[in-house]
Parts: sequence; C-alpha cells; structure tokens
Amino acid sequence: MLERSHVQSSGFANVGPSDGPTGFRLRIRQPNYRGTRVSLMQGVDVTVDGELFPASGNRYRIGERDYAHAELDALTELRWSVGETIDVIVDKPGGLARGVHLVETVLYYRHPYFPPQFRPIPVRDSRHATIVL
Amino acid sequence: MSGSFKYGVSLYSYTDDIGTVMGLEDALYHAADLGATGIEILGEAHVDAYPEPSAAWLDRWFALVDQYGLEPTNFASWIDTHVQRDRDLTAEEGAAQLTLDLHLAKRLGFRFLRPKFGVIDDELTPHPIWSGAVERVLDLAAKLDVMIIPEIHAPTPIRHPVVEGYVDFIQRTGTKHFGLLIDTGIFQDRPLPYWQHETPEMREGAMSFLNGIKVPVEHLAEVIDYVPFIQAKFHHIDEQLHDHNIPWEKVVPALKSLGYSGYLSSEYEGVRDPWVAIEQVRRQHALIRKLEDEFDQRTSTNSQTEIANA
Repeated sequence: MLERSHVQSSGFANVGPSDGPTGFRLRIRQPNYRGTRVSLMQGVDVTVDGELFPASGNRYRIGERDYAHAELDALTELRWSVGETIDVIVDKPGGLARGVHLVETVLYYRHPYFPPQFRPIPVRDSRHATIVL
Repeated sequence: MSGSFKYGVSLYSYTDDIGTVMGLEDALYHAADLGATGIEILGEAHVDAYPEPSAAWLDRWFALVDQYGLEPTNFASWIDTHVQRDRDLTAEEGAAQLTLDLHLAKRLGFRFLRPKFGVIDDELTPHPIWSGAVERVLDLAAKLDVMIIPEIHAPTPIRHPVVEGYVDFIQRTGTKHFGLLIDTGIFQDRPLPYWQHETPEMREGAMSFLNGIKVPVEHLAEVIDYVPFIQAKFHHIDEQLHDHNIPWEKVVPALKSLGYSGYLSSEYEGVRDPWVAIEQVRRQHALIRKLEDEFDQRTSTNSQTEIANA
C-alpha cells in the first residue's frame, strides 16, 4: 500500500556518488483515479524549500527506464497504473542536505475528456519529506 | 408495471482508498456487504497490469467475484483521442482501443463497456472519430454480446446534440449493441463544494455545471428505451439520509414509473478522506432502497384501492 499523498516518503533520496551526489529523486504515486498512457503526463515541476526545478529539466524513471522530459510525449504504449509509482530525478549538484524538506509538486496531466482549455490540468501536492541518505 | 432495480457499486467510488488503504478484495467485500449484486470496474484502474492481466490475476478475479456473489456489470474504458500533444487518434486507432477493451471486458465477465471519448469543446462533444471507431467494432460487440454505452454526463443534458448523435447512430445502424449510460449527476440541482484546485474563475466559466445542470427527470422518458445501465453518481449524503446534491426523491419515482429494472451502480464522487466512501455508498443504497420501497408501497396501495373501488 502507498501513502495517501502523491509524494511518497520512501524513494526520496540523493542520487549519484555518496561523496558527491548529482541530484535527488522523488517518488510519486499515480495521482489520477485511473492509470493512463504515459504520453498524457506532461511532466512534473518539483519545488524543494522554495527552489523550483521545472518539469522540462527533470528526468522520469518509469518502470525500469529513465526518460527525458521530451521523450514522454512519444510514450503512447507505456502505461502508468494506479498503485504504481514513478521517480522524478532532479539534477542538483551536491544533492539535498540530510533532514526534512518542504516538497511541492505540480504534475501536468492532459485528460482528453476534459474541455480543451483544461489540458493539461495541474495536479498539485505539498508535504514535508525527509532525506536520510 | 415496474420491475425492481438492481443494485451495484462502481469501484470508482473507492478512488484513492484503493491502493492506499484498501485492496481489490476489500472493495468487493464492502460492495457485497451492503447488498450489491453488481460490480463495475475501470479497466485502467482496477485490472492489474492492464491491458494484459496475468493468468494469476484473472484466476483471482473470478474467485473473488464468485466468493462475494458479485456479477460484473460495466467495464469503463477510455478512448484518449488527444493521445499526444500534437496528434489525435485516428478512427482505426480508436477502434483498436475499443477492440482491446471489448475483449478484456468479455473475458472478465462484463456485459457493458463504457467508452469515454476525448472531447472537443466545453459541452463535451465527443471527438469526431467516435462514430467511425464504434462502427468498426459493432460486429465484434455483437459477437461478444457486450453493449457499448457512452455516458450522458454533466454538463451534457438529455436534450442535446451529443445525445441526438448517439440516438441517430443507433437508428442508422440498427445495432442492439450500442446504448446510453445515464450518469445521475445530470439531475444535480444544488451546487457542489469547490473541488480541489478549483478557482472561482473556473466555476463561473466552463465548470459552472458543478452548480448542477438540473435536468428535469421527466426528460428520461425520451431516452429510456436506449438506457440499459445507470451510474448513480452522488457526492454527499448526511446522517438523515439526505442527499445534498442529487434529488433522489424525484429520480427514483421517475425511473420506477418508466419501468427501469437495470442497475443503479453507485458512483461516489465526494470527499476523498480515507474510508469515507465506504459509509457514503452504504447511505446511498439505504436511501435509494427506501425510496424504491415507498414507491412500491404507494403503487400497491393504489392498486388495492382501485380493486376495492371496482
């Protein structure tokens, strides 16, 4: 079972060498009531302690692979299911300090059954999460 | 003469609970415990590894619906026409999605398939590929005996070109495997609270339907012949069994008078705090069963009076 918040506690960690992290990753559950083709998901803005990391610069680990933001649109046959998580991988030389951070996310979802002006719709979450490693 | 309603639950009701505080079996347990005999699922939400569930998952599905005495009713599917930022599905691709879902629905024991087509405007006019896509799979739907039933959902009322288009399609093709699903949200006559992330600008504009589009229940008579399934959409029922948005005291007698004897499949769409949905769905079934009983008693009393006066 996953946590209710979109942003999960587990999975929040620095990435890269332990003596020189290149950034961090953030784990997000499918926030929608149904799974979708990944191509409908237009990326995730991440803000940590007020510092914004825009969707276009982040990478996305879906299943076993990492994808650049520009690659998401072509993923019409890959699915992100309810109950599954993806990792957003954010470049930040040095990573995040050990401790509690305010994490805010905006996930952009394009729902074809919404009127055109609501595509994509921003799906927001905000919580405190803790870097251990 | 009216038949009796069939009572079902859509697992959509338990959105956000399923996967966080509730598994598939928990959801089926709660549905069965309140007396439902039908279960509705969303393919892309509730079928593990959709669209290709494992043999083990299929075995478990059949074991669970058998154990809880639930009949698969409606399988919800999506035709995501705006599939890429700058590309829409073709009719052939839409038909391929419908083909996949028809087969999967049939395999899981469902009799109805609800496709949700992408739309092109605020009135939820379906993308023009819809008719070409559906026409390509009508023979398959007939062979599998699965009926395709797009929903009439707020802000689209019953008297609307979208509905006329669906009815024209039925009349033109002569198909018995395409119909209309009525979502009872069209009868909502009091406003919903603001939804998460909703702004006043949104509510005044394209989201104004959340104040209720107030379709008169009398309009049901114009389409009921095409309606084999109803999603009993609701948002909040209080401790006095009073629904704050949907006028069940009008909807239930209208459906009874028209002889509707299909499913009312609960679609709770309200506050998403953990476990709230379990109680809300129970209240809805208590409320609708109470209103159905009252209608039957009135009808029975009237009949006896007529006999006595004869």
